[in-house]
Amino acid sequence: MSEALIDALNPALFWEYRLVLLRGLAFNAYVFFAAATVALVVGLAAALLRVNRAWPFRMLGTLHVEVFRNAPDYIMVIWVHFVLPLLLGKLIGQRIEFSPFVSAVIALGFVYSGYFAETFRAGIQSIPQGHLDAGRACGMGETAILWRIVLPQVVRRMLPEAVNQFVSLFKATTIVSLIAVPDLMYQVSMVTQQEMRPLPLYTGAAVTYFVVIYVVAGSVRGLSERWRNKIYA
Amino acid sequence: MDAVPAIRVVDLRKSFGALEVLRGVSFDVHRGSVVSMIGASGSGKSTLLRCINRLERPSAGEVFIDGEPMGGPVTASGERKERPLKDINRMRRDLGMVFQQFNLWPHMTVIGNVIEAPLRVRRMSRKDAIQLAEECLARVHLSEKGKEYPARLSGGQMQRVAIARALAMQPKAMLFDEPTSSLDPELTDEVLTVMRELAADGTTMIVVTHEMAFARDASDRVLFLHNGQIEEEGPPDQVFGQPRSERCRQFLSKKLQ
Amino acid sequence: MSNWERLVWNQRGLLLQGLAVTVEICAIAFAMAIVGGLVLCLVRLHVRPLRPAAIALIEFFRATPIFVQLMWVNYVWPELFGWPNSFFTSGWVALGLQSSGYLAETFRAGIEAVPKGHREAGYSVGMSPFQVYRRIVLPETLLTVAPSIVNQFTVIVKSSTLVSVITVPDLMLQAMKLVNIWYEPIEVLTATAAIYIGVVFLVSTAGKALADFQRRRFGLNAT
Ligand SMILES: Nc1ncnc2c1ncn2[C@@H]1O[C@H](COP(=O)(O)OP(=O)(O)OP(=O)(O)O)[C@@H](O)[C@H]1O
Ligand SMILES: [Mg+2]
Repeated sequence: MSEALIDALNPALFWEYRLVLLRGLAFNAYVFFAAATVALVVGLAAALLRVNRAWPFRMLGTLHVEVFRNAPDYIMVIWVHFVLPLLLGKLIGQRIEFSPFVSAVIALGFVYSGYFAETFRAGIQSIPQGHLDAGRACGMGETAILWRIVLPQVVRRMLPEAVNQFVSLFKATTIVSLIAVPDLMYQVSMVTQQEMRPLPLYTGAAVTYFVVIYVVAGSVRGLSERWRNKIYA
Repeated sequence: MDAVPAIRVVDLRKSFGALEVLRGVSFDVHRGSVVSMIGASGSGKSTLLRCINRLERPSAGEVFIDGEPMGGPVTASGERKERPLKDINRMRRDLGMVFQQFNLWPHMTVIGNVIEAPLRVRRMSRKDAIQLAEECLARVHLSEKGKEYPARLSGGQMQRVAIARALAMQPKAMLFDEPTSSLDPELTDEVLTVMRELAADGTTMIVVTHEMAFARDASDRVLFLHNGQIEEEGPPDQVFGQPRSERCRQFLSKKLQ
Repeated sequence: MSNWERLVWNQRGLLLQGLAVTVEICAIAFAMAIVGGLVLCLVRLHVRPLRPAAIALIEFFRATPIFVQLMWVNYVWPELFGWPNSFFTSGWVALGLQSSGYLAETFRAGIEAVPKGHREAGYSVGMSPFQVYRRIVLPETLLTVAPSIVNQFTVIVKSSTLVSVITVPDLMLQAMKLVNIWYEPIEVLTATAAIYIGVVFLVSTAGKALADFQRRRFGLNAT
């Protein structure tokens, strides 16, 4: 085995900095959960716009989806971090700044809301009209029908696709290091500058992300399958 | 006979765009009686039922439940004020509906389907709702299936759960829209048996059906709908024995051959 | 003179240069992804001894974030393999790797969806296994997976913004350069975002139209 390969696969250096790196990974998780919340809420709102009866609402929903689904994560993160505060500042006549964390959450949250909106919409439209009629015939109000009949089924139907999108979102959190959110990649580049040994560090980062994503996504997929199978026998 | 019928339909009309589906339908359903509605596909039977509990909004005409107008009272100036959805929902509780496609909610267990409306709409306590649901499931002979999900039931069982779900609202009347049409022939009997028992218990029912035997011996009146109008109406003996309308005779001879 | 004119229109040469680099790197990465995906998929399906290796590679490419892969290829590969020797190459290799993992799985799903009877029909008229693959299985697969391939290309375009981080002079890098000259990010970044969104929108719309056109030619429903 070549020396470089041994160096790359030697976890000693990675292990030495484990606490810093773990804290970095925790930041990936924070950004992920915050952005996922934004993405779900905004995505649901956009989906409801898209299935609305009035066409101006539908248009608005479509615009939202097309903009955010087609936008690269990175440019959106940069845009939200450097441009949005200036625009908002002009609007309220005051200087404002976003912390890197906030920018990351807003940007990733909105980008992924575009994907989630489509998943939600497909889920909503796959619910047979009769299920809603049955609710109405029981005297349920439209809100109760949405929360008790439509959304629980939508969630189950969209789960496999949603898991894929959550995985993508988690992967996307690695780019927040580029606006100095101290995530794992950020820490890796910091340590690299100090130690001048990129081989084991970047290899370690790649392997860490791979293991986390592979294991977590795999188990979530398994669990969600079992849960779904109960009702789609 | 009561002065006030359980359901009174007066000159009901419904169009979808240019298509006139109901062209003025009137009839009464008295408390405890069973009305069967027959007619060719597309004659407007489902639309009529859906207008009765306002899943469709009628273009004209009115439906009275126990004397109360579904569409809202007429003001002094002769205008009718549309009821708010909340009111309509309240009145819908008095009408249980059973659909051709069952429409059970697949993410809830059998008991969950049955207690949903009592819990959320009538705001019963969970304990009372479950007790009521168990009674209703017993009436459709499915006491042992409460914990199953709908996907694991046969079609006949699903339809009986749907009946139990409607019964659980303790409605003043039950509307059935071809409850056996999407069932395999060997499963229709278990559903029809339950419906006959309900009828014998004095449940007020409107039943849209292609089961001529049921219409003939379980109902008090039979309506034959053609092109959005009642073409023939009367006690089963008369409608099946000596129909006045030529179309009704043709329809029946095709159905009964 | 408006800011838009000064910061965007007058700099269009630079931005277009950047766009050209973006197009170039995406095209190379896409070609690599298709070839790589096909090879990985065929090895996984038909080369028994190499199957575990193919699966490991596919899963690794799919489950590792593109940015991490880019950094890894860029910093680690040159020392490990003595290659890639330029940032540009690192860029398309990383982009291509990830997408080849995804496309391998897409191709596999497509191939497995070809009904067995279609193959048997081929054998029954005396075609060789290779002929059956080339003339029946792959064309049918292509038809079903075309939308996913287009989708993967848009993923590449979106991910390609990251190659600016390793100083490949793509559209993103040129935009950042302009921002760093004047510190007036609003117009430049907004225009750049709009260009990317527009390009990706065009690619996905045109790709979908093309895929649907092909499907309709064979009497299949649009996707
Ligand atoms: N929501 C709707 N929009 C437009 N047309 C409709 C709608 N619902 C029903 N129709 C039309 O109204 C007519 C009557 O339909 P309806 O479902 O009431 O018939 P039916 O007597 O119940 O028939 P079947 O025995 O097939 O159930 C049909 O021509 C149908 O196409
Ligand atoms: Mg009908």
